[in-house]
Amino acid sequence: MIHLQNIEKVYRTDTVETQALNAINLEVAKGEFLSIMGPSGCGKSTLLNIMGLLDEPTSGSIRIADSTADRLSDKQLAHFRNRTIGFIFQSYHLINDLRVLDNVELPLLYRKSTAKERKELALEALEKVGLSNRTKHFPTQLSGGQKQRVAIARAIVGKPNIILADEPTGNLDSAMGNDVMDILVRLNKDEGTTIVMVTHDENMARKTHRLVRLFDGSQVQ
Amino acid sequence: MLMHLFTLIWNKKKQHSLVILEMIISFMVLFAVFTLIVYYFTNYRKPMGFRYDNVLSVSISLPPGSTANKDSAAQVMQTLKRTVLALPEVKGMSYVSSNSPFSMNTSNNVINHNNQEVMAMYYTVDDAYPQVLGVKMLEGRWFNATDAHAKEPPVVINETLKENFFPGENAVGKILKMGDEPHRITGVVQTLKDKGDYVASKAGTYKRAGDDAPLWLSRILISYDLNTDAGFEGRLFKTFSSVLKTSSIEIEYLTKKRVSTNSVSLIPMILLLVVGGFLIINVALGIFGVLWYSVNKRRAEIGLRRAVGASGSGISGQIVSETLVLSTFALLIGVFFAIQFPLLNLFNMPSGVYITAIVLSVLFIYILVVICAFYPGRQAAQIYPAVALHED
Ligand SMILES: Nc1ncnc2c1ncn2[C@@H]1O[C@H](COP(=O)(O)OP(=O)(O)O)[C@@H](O)[C@H]1O
Ligand SMILES: [Mg+2]
Repeated sequence: MIHLQNIEKVYRTDTVETQALNAINLEVAKGEFLSIMGPSGCGKSTLLNIMGLLDEPTSGSIRIADSTADRLSDKQLAHFRNRTIGFIFQSYHLINDLRVLDNVELPLLYRKSTAKERKELALEALEKVGLSNRTKHFPTQLSGGQKQRVAIARAIVGKPNIILADEPTGNLDSAMGNDVMDILVRLNKDEGTTIVMVTHDENMARKTHRLVRLFDGSQVQ
Repeated sequence: MLMHLFTLIWNKKKQHSLVILEMIISFMVLFAVFTLIVYYFTNYRKPMGFRYDNVLSVSISLPPGSTANKDSAAQVMQTLKRTVLALPEVKGMSYVSSNSPFSMNTSNNVINHNNQEVMAMYYTVDDAYPQVLGVKMLEGRWFNATDAHAKEPPVVINETLKENFFPGENAVGKILKMGDEPHRITGVVQTLKDKGDYVASKAGTYKRAGDDAPLWLSRILISYDLNTDAGFEGRLFKTFSSVLKTSSIEIEYLTKKRVSTNSVSLIPMILLLVVGGFLIINVALGIFGVLWYSVNKRRAEIGLRRAVGASGSGISGQIVSETLVLSTFALLIGVFFAIQFPLLNLFNMPSGVYITAIVLSVLFIYILVVICAFYPGRQAAQIYPAVALHED
């Protein structure tokens, strides 16, 4: 599903040059649930962003869902992300001025769809994360666990093949974290969604199929 | 997407209330500016109704006591007319009241017909007036010596007054009460724009100056041959002073008076334009600043939208559209207030002027807003999604 070959990422600013990723080779199979661990600043988010085509590697090549990512225009990249990838972030990134239902519908606004279709799909996604009774709330009226479940609903509403989750339980206590983790595991099992998850938590990582460890931008395991 | 933006703006209406208020105020000022411009322009396009390019206005002030003997004074006035008309360059001469074309003087009178009252401009002029100014008769004729002993004194009215009292009818022969005195209409003249190009002409009546009128009518209009040489003014002055035995004579060209009258009527518009201009700059900077601030505050949201499928141009389009939606909120409120002017017929202006001004103000605000949103929108499009999602 995801093929990374010799990925290297260097951040250059006026004064410093940071080697964020170095010679990463990684294959993620279709239907796999992969977790990535490593100390803070070792390049996990960078790797996930590159997989999600939000960021370009300095060198190396990426193939995702059988299409080569280089040479895609900005519009094509946007379209590709919209169709293929769902993102989940540690800090949820919900839009506070939109109600839960509108937040979940967001990805569908960037593809052809009717208001009715959007509502149906969003309700379906909210059902899956157990938040059907919170559709009219604003994000600020929700707990952290609920927010992350809304974010998951938003990630799955467009039925993407791949979900990229960057420390999805990082801001949650263990009970809420486990709820979120259960949803991801079920999603992977029931729908066959390929999931790549960055985590700090060994317990969470243990629930996935495979674990990759990064250290200082390099793959150590 | 549009519905989505409406929802977004609606949910943020409190945050935006100040900008919306600012937009409403600038819309109202624009509305005032455009109303004035449209009004002036409509007036400007109306026919002048008379010739001024070959006409001089002469003001005389007779020495005190010189009119004590009415008969001899009338004699002097007749001599003056004969002498002036004898000048080869002079084509016509008319004694008129001081509210002559492009003068600051006005005189009003209440006109009555069938219990309907109209406040109308009141001119006193002699029989030569239409010939000197080349006015256009629309109905009937100008008064002349045959009207001197009519049962009701003659009066000529302008088209504006006719539309007031006799729309679609023939006005000639009808009786008007000027004050309490009945007058018979002999003709209808095309309305003269005698307060300048930009000022709407009001209803007006022309009363016949009798033979003794030159004694108290201190202004004289003279039409002359345009091919005349520069010495004409001097010869005219000499003719006047030698007959009247006074040198307090002022000769002015109507062409010049028109220019200065026009400048005076443009002053309020220029003032309003300056005030409006400053306000618009202020609002433009305000909108620009708010957008700039909001784009920077919403970096994470923009990053997220990029992640879920928005392209860079989609983001800048969103910023521009959001601003258009925001201004639509403001314009709906603004138009609601502006539309009261034609509905309640405030300031007695044609409703077409108000409607045109509303349309122009709406367009102006929209264009202004798009211009202001363009750069912040482009800036938003360039936000790097990975970076924006990273920072918190
Ligand atoms: N936009 C950026 N500009 C410069 N350096 C960056 C940028 N993003 C990340 N880095 C650096 O790259 C390294 C990896 O960062 P990141 O992928 O966020 O680590 P992690 O997610 O594992 O904590 C860090 O040293 C970080 O400081
Ligand atoms: Mg990280």
